Amino acid sequence: MKILKESSVFTRRQFLKGSGVLVISAVFMGIFAKVGFDAVAAQEDVVQKRVAGLYSLDEKMTIRKSHENPEIIQLYKDFLSPGEIKPVSDKAHHLLHTRYGEEVPGLIAELKKHPIEAA
Amino acid sequence: MNANAKVLKHSGQTRTMHWLHLIVCILLALTGIGFYWDINWINNLFGGPANASIVHRWSAVIFVLGPLLYILFNFERFSRFVDTISNFTKDDFGWIKTMGGYIPFIKVDEVPPQDKYNAGQKVLGGLIIIGCLLMIITGFPMWVWRGVVAPGFLAFCYNIHFWTSIILILLVLGHFFLAAIHPKSRVEFSAMMIDGYVDADITAEHNEKWYATLKEVE
Amino acid sequence: MSTFTSRDIIHVDPSICKGCDHCTSVCPTRAIHGTIGEKHRIDHRKCVNCGQCLINCPFGAISDLSALDTLVQALNDPNKYVVIQVAPAVRVALGEEFGMQPGTNVKGKMFAALRQLGFDQVYDTEFAADLTIMEEGTELIHRIYNYAGVAGFEESGPLPQFTSCCPAWIKYAEDRYPHILPHISSAKSPQQMFGAIAKTYAAQKLDVDPAKMYSVSVMPCTAKKYECDRPEFIASGYKDVDVVITTRELANLIKQQGIDFRNLNDEEADRLIGSSTGAATIFGVTGGVMEAALRTAYELLSGKTLGKIEFKKVRGLKPIREATVEIPVKDLGVTVPVNVCIVHGLKHVNGIIEDVLAGRSKYHFIEVMNCPGGCINGGGQPIRHEMYA
Repeated sequence: MKILKESSVFTRRQFLKGSGVLVISAVFMGIFAKVGFDAVAAQEDVVQKRVAGLYSLDEKMTIRKSHENPEIIQLYKDFLSPGEIKPVSDKAHHLLHTRYGEEVPGLIAELKKHPIEAA
Repeated sequence: MNANAKVLKHSGQTRTMHWLHLIVCILLALTGIGFYWDINWINNLFGGPANASIVHRWSAVIFVLGPLLYILFNFERFSRFVDTISNFTKDDFGWIKTMGGYIPFIKVDEVPPQDKYNAGQKVLGGLIIIGCLLMIITGFPMWVWRGVVAPGFLAFCYNIHFWTSIILILLVLGHFFLAAIHPKSRVEFSAMMIDGYVDADITAEHNEKWYATLKEVE
Repeated sequence: MSTFTSRDIIHVDPSICKGCDHCTSVCPTRAIHGTIGEKHRIDHRKCVNCGQCLINCPFGAISDLSALDTLVQALNDPNKYVVIQVAPAVRVALGEEFGMQPGTNVKGKMFAALRQLGFDQVYDTEFAADLTIMEEGTELIHRIYNYAGVAGFEESGPLPQFTSCCPAWIKYAEDRYPHILPHISSAKSPQQMFGAIAKTYAAQKLDVDPAKMYSVSVMPCTAKKYECDRPEFIASGYKDVDVVITTRELANLIKQQGIDFRNLNDEEADRLIGSSTGAATIFGVTGGVMEAALRTAYELLSGKTLGKIEFKKVRGLKPIREATVEIPVKDLGVTVPVNVCIVHGLKHVNGIIEDVLAGRSKYHFIEVMNCPGGCINGGGQPIRHEMYA
C-alpha cells in the first residue's frame, strides 16, 4: 500500500505565525488583566468620590463642631437637662442610651415599668 | 491515481490531543449547561452542582494544559496549522461563496481547489482558537480571583464566558455534523478519530492543493 | 447567637444566583453558605444585615426587604404625622440614581424632594449625630476620668470605648464577643436617638400626639432596618423609629412620584431638630465619628478652641488606622495622650477585640464600622458596578 505524508519543511513564515499566535494570546491576556485591575480601581474610585463629597460638605459648613450646634444646646437646655448643658443626664440616659446582649430584656422591662413622663 | 494509496493526515499526538479535547469539551459543556440553567438531572449526574462545578473546573485545567503541552511539543506542527488556516486566498473565498457545495440549494459548478483544510475548516480553526482563549481568560478569574475582582468585572467575565460557550457549542455541533454524519465528508472521520489515514483519492478531491505537495513514503 | 432573631432582611434569589461565590468573600461574618457552582443561602443567625453582599452581587441576585409599601401607606394616611430623618451618607450618593457623579452633594434637592413627597416634617439625622457626639463623647470623658481615678465616675465602664453607631457591628459583637459589650458605648446610634427625641421633645414642641407621629428614616444601610425593629427601642413609649428605607428605595420613591429631581431648587431641613454641623456630616465616612468626637472632646476637656479643626491622621481608607492625640485636660491639669483606632470592615476587628479582652490594647477609643469606607459604601447605597474609572 502506498502511503503519502506531508513534507516536514518548517518555513520562517510558519514559525513567525505560530509564535505570533502565542504572543498575541499573551498580549490579550495582559489587556484582559488590565481591564480587571481598572475595574477594581473604578470600584474604589466611587467610594473615594463619596468620601471626598462628605469631607468637602464638612468644609462648607459654618458650624463644624457638635457642641456648637444651637439646636443641640436648646435641646439640652429645654428638655434633657433643663437649664444647663449636661449630657448623660437622667433623661438623656433614659432616651439616648441603651444596653446590649443579655441585658436587653432587663432594659425592656425597665422601660415598660418606668415610661417617660407624659409630655 | 492509486486506488490503494492512503494519506496520513493527522499524527498520533494530534489525534490524542483531539480526543482529549473532545472529552473535556463534552464534560465542560454538559456541566456548564447544567449549572447555568439549573438543570437538576445534569447536575445530579456529577453529584450535585457543587461537584459538577469541581468537575467543570478541573476539566478546564485539562482543557488548558492539553493543547498547551501539544503546542509546546509540536510547535512546528502547530505553526504549520496556523499558517494554513491564516492563509486566505481567492480559492478560499470561492469555497465560501459556494459553501463548499454543502448547501443543497446553492448551485455549484465547481468548488475551487483547497489546502489541507478547506475554507470552512480554516474559519472553524480560527474561531476555536479565539473562543478557547476567551473561555480560558474569562474562566480563570471566575475561579481563582472570584473574591478579589470587582463585581462588574466578574459579571463581564460571566457574560463573555456564556456567549462564547454558546457560539463554541454551536460551532462544534456543526463540526460534528459535517465530520461524522454528512455523507460527503464523513469519509474523513477516521483521519482524526481512528488511525489518521484518508484515502488518497478523497484527499486529491477535497484537498487538491495540499495533495500536490505530499511525498510518498514506503 | 444573637439575643434576637432578626427578621430575614437580606435574601438571595436562587433563580438569579449563579453560584459565583463572590459574596462569601465580602461577607464579614461568613454567614453565606455555598461553594462555587451552588445556589448560595444566607444563615440569618450569623448575618449582620450589612448588605455588602447585596451591593457586590455581580448578578443582582441579593435583595433587601423593602419597606416602601408601608411608607407609602403611612404617607397617604391623614391621621399620621410623618417625620423623616436622612443620614449623612445619603446626600452624596442619592444623585447617582439620577445620573450624577458619585460624591455630588444633593442635600438641598433631597430636602426639597422629601417635602414634595408629603412628609410633614423633614429633619436630618445629622442633628442626632451631633447629639450622639455629646453623649458618647461625654461617656468617653467619664470613662477616662474613671480610669484616671477621679472620684465620682466609678460607675463608668472600662476603657477602651468602642463606638456604637453601626448596628451590624453591634450585632456582630453580641453574637461573637459578648465579653466586649461593656466596652461598647451605651449611647444609641444617631437613628435611634433621633427616633426617641422626635416622639418626645419634637412631639411636645410641635404639639403633636406622639401616638400619631410616624417616624421614618432614610439610611445608606440595610442593618438599620434590623436596628429599628429591635424591641428595646421604645424609650419614647412608642416604637422610636417606625420604618427605615434605603437610599435606593428613596430614589425609587422619587422616581415613582415623577419628581424631576435634577431640577429641584435647594431647600433646607426644618428647624427644631434639623440643623447640623460639619462634625455630623462626616459621620458617614470611616474615621468620621472619631474626628467629630475628637473635635468636641478636645474643646470640652481643654477649654480651648481648636485652631485646626481637621484631624487628618484619622482619615484615609486603610482598614486599621491609629493615631495619638494629646489633649490638655483642664480639670486634671495634665496632658493626656489619647490613643484612638479606626477600623472599617468587620474582618479586621477580631484582632483588636482579642487584644482588648487580653488586656494588651493601648487604645482608649475605637471606632468600628462594618462597611469598607464607612456608611457611604453601605448596603443601602446605589449599586455601582464600575468597569472604567
